[in-house]
Amino acid sequence: MHFFAIFKLTIPVLMGYIPLGMAFGLLLSKLLIPWYYAFFMSLFIFAGSGQFLALTLFASQATILEIAIATFLLNLRHTFYGLSMISAFKNFSWKKHYLIFGLTDETFALLKTSEIEEQHRERAYLIITFLNQCYWIIGSVLGAVLGNVVPFNYEGIEFSLTALFVVLSIELYKKSRLHQPFFVALIIGLFGMMFFPPQKMLILSLCLAAFVLIVFRRSMEDAQ
Amino acid sequence: MHSSYLIGGIVVAMLATYATRLIPFMLFRNREPSPLIRYIERNMPLMIMVILVFYALKDVTWEVYPYGLAELIGVSVAIALHVSFKNALLSIFTATLTYMILIQNVF
Repeated sequence: MHFFAIFKLTIPVLMGYIPLGMAFGLLLSKLLIPWYYAFFMSLFIFAGSGQFLALTLFASQATILEIAIATFLLNLRHTFYGLSMISAFKNFSWKKHYLIFGLTDETFALLKTSEIEEQHRERAYLIITFLNQCYWIIGSVLGAVLGNVVPFNYEGIEFSLTALFVVLSIELYKKSRLHQPFFVALIIGLFGMMFFPPQKMLILSLCLAAFVLIVFRRSMEDAQ
Repeated sequence: MHSSYLIGGIVVAMLATYATRLIPFMLFRNREPSPLIRYIERNMPLMIMVILVFYALKDVTWEVYPYGLAELIGVSVAIALHVSFKNALLSIFTATLTYMILIQNVF
């Protein structure tokens, strides 16, 4: 797969990660943390909501143990992403550790829906993950350095990530052999959005979805 | 803030994040995934993606003006375009642009 074709896949993430990264960098600079910490956090942690949480914890002088536990619980949803990638990464070289490291919500979404021939897959996956991390790093450093000085009104551009998830849901729905999981997820997502506390909405909804998927396995497979 | 505190915090946040992503690969390193795991692997991504849509909308205030209208219109544009033209970039660009115009100029 040509580099430009791979780059094209990542454009929605580019549009989302730059402004979100900037928001992160901005918050970091407001806490009077030097800008290069934005660079190192995005380089070593690479987790959107995880990094926002870390800043909040820094600001409240949380202990190192509290930071570890809170970050682990917040990012526990990534375990589900890994679970869906086991076969995909199985025959890759040691480089798959970078793919595992970089498995954010958005990277997972792109990898899971991309259609790449098997012999080019590892390279393409690495490029996608790397580009996404570059966008995130660039955004967060820009935000930390520039602060509020932004040349144009980009308010709302992060909606590109919402639109990305919508589009990829449709793509996966069309590819999926079973269709009930889609409708179950619609109900769980709606329910979670309305009734679960916002910070725990994602992990609770994902656990509920996995639970329903497993418990109703027979009826889901029979119905198709 | 003390730099050793920040560095320590960043290191544990890094390890904790990486751990959440690594766990499933560690569990199934040396054995073939069971049919149940394969079933989850096949069907969970679609559910994750749909739930991520709602997750992305979790901070919308539905009960006060403008009642999440910009988000609803943006999502509808993305669905309509994607079902009709199957061009991911077109759907995402247009939906995002629509949303930006709505929240900057209309609501």
